[in-house]
Amino acid sequence: MNLWLQHLPILPIVVPLTAGAALLLLPESHRAARLTLAVISMLVQFAAAAGLLYLTSDATSQAWPADTAVYRIGGWPPPFGIVLVVDRLAAIMVALSATIALSVLVYSIARWDRPGQPFHALLQFLAMGLNGAFLTGDLFNLFVFFEVLLAASYGLVLRGAGTVRVRAGLHYIAVNLAASLLFLTGVALIYGVTGTLNMADLTVHAGLLSGPARILFDTGAAILGVAFLVKAASWPLNFWLPDTYSAAIEPVAAVFVMLTKVGIYALLRLGTLLSLNEAAASTLQTALFGIGLATLAAGMNGMLGAQRLVRLISHSVIVSTGILLAAFGLGIEALTAPALFYLITSALASGIFFMLAGMTARMRPHDTQHARPVAMPSPPYVAYGIREPDAYDTGDEVGVAIPAPMAFLGLVFVCCVLLVTGLPPLPGFVAKFMLLSTALNAAPGAISTWLLIASVIAAGLAGLVALTRMGSGIFWAVTERATPRLRLLEAAPVAALVIFCFALAAHPGPVMNYLESAARSLHEPQTYIRAILPEKTGSDRPGTPAP
Amino acid sequence: MTLALIVLLPFLGSLCAACLPASARNAEAWLAGIVATGCAALAASLFPEIAAGHVVRLSIPWLPQAGLELYLRMDGYAWLFTLLVSVMGALVVLYARYYMSPRDPVPRFFSFLMAFMGSMLGIVLSGNLIQLVVFWELTSITSFMLIAYWYHRPEARHGARMAAIVTGGGGLSLLLAVLMLGQIVGSYSLDDVLAAGDLIRAHRWYPAMLVLLAAAVLTKSAQFPFHFWLPHAMAAPTPVSAYLHSATMVKAGVFLLARLWPALAGTELWFWLICGGGAASLLLGAASATFQRDMKAVLAYSTVSHLGLITMLLGMNSELALIAAVFHMMNHATFKASLFMATGIVDHETGTRDLSRLSGLRHAMPLTATVAFVAAGAMAGVPLLNGFLSKEMFFTESLQAGGTGGLGIALPALAGLAGVFSVAYSLRFIHQVFFGPPATALPRTPREPTRGMLLPSALLVLGCLLIGMLPERTVGGALAIAAHALLGDRLPDYRLAIWHGFTASLLMSFVALAGGTALYVVLYVRGRALRRTPLISRLSGKRGFDVLNVTIFRGARRFVRTAFSQRLQVQLLLIVGAAAVAALLPLWRGGLAFGDAPLTPLDPTFAMLWLAGAICAVGAAVQAKFHRLMALIMVGCVGLVTSLTFAWFSAPDLALTQLTVEVITTVLILLGLRWLPRRIQFQEPLRHTLRARLRRSRDAAFAIAIGVGMAALAFAMLTRPGASRLGPFFLQNALEPAGGRNVVNVILVDFRAFDTLGEITVVGIVALVVYALLRRFRPAAESIDVPRAQREGLIGGGAHADPRALLPEGDLKIPAVLGRLLLPLAALVSVYFLLRGHDAPGGGFVGGLILATAMIVQYMVGGALWVESRLRIHPQVWIALGLLAAVAAGLAAWFAARPFLTAQVLELHAPLIGTVHLSSVLLFDLGVYLLVVGAALLMLVALAHQSLRSPRRELPGAVDGAAL
Repeated sequence: MNLWLQHLPILPIVVPLTAGAALLLLPESHRAARLTLAVISMLVQFAAAAGLLYLTSDATSQAWPADTAVYRIGGWPPPFGIVLVVDRLAAIMVALSATIALSVLVYSIARWDRPGQPFHALLQFLAMGLNGAFLTGDLFNLFVFFEVLLAASYGLVLRGAGTVRVRAGLHYIAVNLAASLLFLTGVALIYGVTGTLNMADLTVHAGLLSGPARILFDTGAAILGVAFLVKAASWPLNFWLPDTYSAAIEPVAAVFVMLTKVGIYALLRLGTLLSLNEAAASTLQTALFGIGLATLAAGMNGMLGAQRLVRLISHSVIVSTGILLAAFGLGIEALTAPALFYLITSALASGIFFMLAGMTARMRPHDTQHARPVAMPSPPYVAYGIREPDAYDTGDEVGVAIPAPMAFLGLVFVCCVLLVTGLPPLPGFVAKFMLLSTALNAAPGAISTWLLIASVIAAGLAGLVALTRMGSGIFWAVTERATPRLRLLEAAPVAALVIFCFALAAHPGPVMNYLESAARSLHEPQTYIRAILPEKTGSDRPGTPAP
Repeated sequence: MTLALIVLLPFLGSLCAACLPASARNAEAWLAGIVATGCAALAASLFPEIAAGHVVRLSIPWLPQAGLELYLRMDGYAWLFTLLVSVMGALVVLYARYYMSPRDPVPRFFSFLMAFMGSMLGIVLSGNLIQLVVFWELTSITSFMLIAYWYHRPEARHGARMAAIVTGGGGLSLLLAVLMLGQIVGSYSLDDVLAAGDLIRAHRWYPAMLVLLAAAVLTKSAQFPFHFWLPHAMAAPTPVSAYLHSATMVKAGVFLLARLWPALAGTELWFWLICGGGAASLLLGAASATFQRDMKAVLAYSTVSHLGLITMLLGMNSELALIAAVFHMMNHATFKASLFMATGIVDHETGTRDLSRLSGLRHAMPLTATVAFVAAGAMAGVPLLNGFLSKEMFFTESLQAGGTGGLGIALPALAGLAGVFSVAYSLRFIHQVFFGPPATALPRTPREPTRGMLLPSALLVLGCLLIGMLPERTVGGALAIAAHALLGDRLPDYRLAIWHGFTASLLMSFVALAGGTALYVVLYVRGRALRRTPLISRLSGKRGFDVLNVTIFRGARRFVRTAFSQRLQVQLLLIVGAAAVAALLPLWRGGLAFGDAPLTPLDPTFAMLWLAGAICAVGAAVQAKFHRLMALIMVGCVGLVTSLTFAWFSAPDLALTQLTVEVITTVLILLGLRWLPRRIQFQEPLRHTLRARLRRSRDAAFAIAIGVGMAALAFAMLTRPGASRLGPFFLQNALEPAGGRNVVNVILVDFRAFDTLGEITVVGIVALVVYALLRRFRPAAESIDVPRAQREGLIGGGAHADPRALLPEGDLKIPAVLGRLLLPLAALVSVYFLLRGHDAPGGGFVGGLILATAMIVQYMVGGALWVESRLRIHPQVWIALGLLAAVAAGLAAWFAARPFLTAQVLELHAPLIGTVHLSSVLLFDLGVYLLVVGAALLMLVALAHQSLRSPRRELPGAVDGAAL
């Protein structure tokens, strides 16, 4: 392996950190230099993520043993030092977050990076926190990176003015501080019992626990789980999400989509590592499944009840959390790969959708205040048959010509609807189909399977109902409106992501292959442990961990 | 390859069409026409293979994990439908060229029309069911866009949404049905499914699957009880109605039923579901059509009725009925599309479609009248026209399908009654529009349309006539191929002929003709303004849909109001509660066991210390809402007790850090307190309601319970034998090889330096965020005034002290002198702490805090203006440099080919000084130092500048942000 290539795992963390710090040094007046620096940093992260994806894929089995890279920071051997672990799951998540962060950065250059705010530096720090959380193999270090990304997100959500935004932002901070406290409590309990923080070592040592130590460990893990559920925005711990996401400016909301995915990632990573015995695993799964369905139902209702587009999208983020939790809660290993595929599509969908909302917000007839709800045509207007079609004259009807920017926005809106509701031909459908067919295949008789299927279908229908209503209100109800001036910089990343989605739908095969390998290694903690702690072959462990 | 081209060509055409300018009406029409005829020609070119009974296949790998590929498959049945879709498409394009106004932005129209055509061809040619679902939903989406083409009309928007939701929901139902089907068969391939009929029918999922499939099919084909969307989809331009809502899209449902007929039909349930749904639609549609005023509504309900007829035939579980159904699909497409086109012509030329206003148009537009007359005849089932043939087959089948019981009478009776209605509405359609006295007061003077507009309709009517008179010569062959593809060896003997002899079905046909005429005469005599369908007009599906819609939205909003609180208190309560429940679950199972580690004897002094600390903590919580200053002081006390505790248990590093942190935070918060608004005045009665009391006691009980729980957990942990294996390792390795005597510091800057790197980043970010937030902060009105002590000159200094004066006047003179003397000393001490950190208590963190404290003192005694006019600090630069220094310390290891943050030692032999031992660890600690200073000062500056900003009156030049 190339001497410099071995440092690839740390790049997604060091590069944004350096870039963020350097951005603080550059004065506001050097806008071009600042933007160049920010974009280069994101491009390097993107390239590094691509490199990690490639090196962990089946294409290069020689790169790292078991396709898992272990980077010992400070040169200290695990479990004593901190390690970064790049397996397929981590590589996917880093690549996903790099994709979204890069798009958001380019998008925000167009008009969102007003002077006087450390927007670009915070975006870099947020990327650093996300990448670190995905890459680290140490429980306390995971906490640290959660703090990094949360601190940056506090700054980003408070970006801009307005009582509503500050209020939502402060609530968000309070909730996340409480969750961080829980995180820390959980880590403390786990460390106190097992005496280690390295995730692989934790798995080994937790397996040896019994009696009171085991109970304390479970308590710690449960508290930790609650902290992750808050981050992942599961009901009823997600009241902060719609307010925060709809109060934040749209590009920020777009990149925040990844924050809920971090919670999901942590649950998935630690869930597979730490569910050691059958009983604990099944309890965890039942709880996750129930919480997932409740979250899904709450998000579905939220989508239907939303009056503003951004709020609707926020609730769709909740729905995707619900579907993911419920899918993981079914306890079917084969479901992991489709669920990861769904995670990718839903993250892209919400990201694109938020960016689109930022552009459509400008085409309102009167440029209303950002945080003020725009009145939708109330339902009775279209209901109860008040307006019977009594004008049968369409002979000389002439449609409304749509200017190109509006046509672009409209088409992207349609694509977003298809993505969010899981309709063909976009990858949302592929994900939904894979989820449902796999669940059906694995447990055809189980009630839980049918509950999941019914909920997913119902969520799709509810999304369709809510979004057609919202879209017709935004694009059609008012014909005289200012056509927004789109800049190439904001349209291009959105278009690129949409095209990527089409490609993903047309060629899901390679991606699914990779995800299946990722899921397989995720469900084989032994491989993970062996990669990190080569001296512990796992033969000295009583009982192999249950999936 | 030809197959792929047939499906792809329309989509490519759609893309091209979207790129043409809005005025390119002719280019659009040519493009679409070429695409449609191209598809038809491609399909026709496959005729020899199809006629020989072969199945043309093409598969492209797509999703191997689910065993899915893009699989196009054309057999005789699919071939027939391909031809139908593309030929109708070509005719509709020709018609639309003349129908659409020259001012209309047609690229959108033709683009979606072609996309729809491609989707429809995709359905027809799909060789696996998932792919079929994909194209099925695509037709729903494109149909949505086409219905809403004139989206500035509310009924177009509403109709489009209704159609999209009903058919989209049906599509989801289809997905579910197909998933189950795939599970039963073990494959989604159409070939496999068709071959597994017995397995499917015997499976226990068959009923559920069939219900879902029926829901999908009935929604798509606008069958009862989902038929209501179709009349409202008539808000679309007429070419769309002719193409989608009579000839093709609504046929997708019955297409699928016939496609899967060999595998699914033949059961009781099939009969009741499909035949029942069809029968209800047949009768209701026909009856409703008789009483409509809008010409398009008549045709829409008639379409519901005719599709009901086809559905019913498919539900009869007889091979002959299946053939009749396929035959009628073709016939219905020809006459209904031509009728829609004629309606469009009438609308186009007169400006209205209102039956009560139109009259006697045959004088003004004889050709149109002839065309419509023949087509309506076919719709009514007049002999020698194609509608008659398939309708007679239908009557024959209805006589046989019911068996001998009550059903045997009910089915033919129902069919006959529907036939009566169908004759009546056809008659009314023709008679009221084209006969009678010439209408007056029409929006436009009617005249014959251009040839091009009439041509497609006329061609279709010619088809009606030819098929009606020479069935075997014209469509016999194609029908045979389709029937053979569907039924294979089970193909029964059948004959397409006009004359089957005097049969019961012939009698039924004539009864229907006579009865329908009589019914129309009665209705006409009673007055032509019969607006409502008797009995069933109240059964409005649209109304139900709207009510359901509103109920759902209201319900959802109510749910969100109750299930998502916007209050922070509720959210925090839930989070803590969830954590408590989660923690209790394992404890409930196993119980909390305390360890047996020996307890340290309690020292009375220490107990007193902690008692004081506990009282302060509780006091702070109690006072937080009522007396901020008091609460803050007590929080400070708690911090003090904490650092004393660290010192007590021989943790000097922690004690030192805790102490400096406490000082800085308390001072910063104190400075911030000044800008807070006065506390909220409570309305006394509100505080003492029962509800408020209950809430407060609940919260108090909860807080106490959580506190006790945490204490118990902590006690259990502390009494357990220590499990840490990290500690011993750190102790062993701190001096050698890490090279530090202070293990705590070695952990921070070496063993777990990566954590420290993250944490200092957090500190830096938080400082930036605080600064950014406070920059925009506008203090409450009552806090803006200069404090009384400063105003009355009791205290000099302050924010607005004269920056030129050497020392502030008043009481702050002496402290100012002392404070300034302190600064160089403090700087020296802080560097000392930084340097010795690796071996003795101290380190970058503590050092940085010490320097920051000294700087805070300068600000406090001198005022922001005074300090900044003499000493420009740039906290943001300090933060950036700190981070960069820490990163550089980490990157140094790369040059030694070691991982990030590996400690590197550089031995320098300098003259005079001797050997200098430089370590990258020190650089890292320096980074921490710089960052801590920068972060603390940035927050300080943010607060200090508040007072400079708010009362701007006497300020010489704004200093806002000058420090940055």
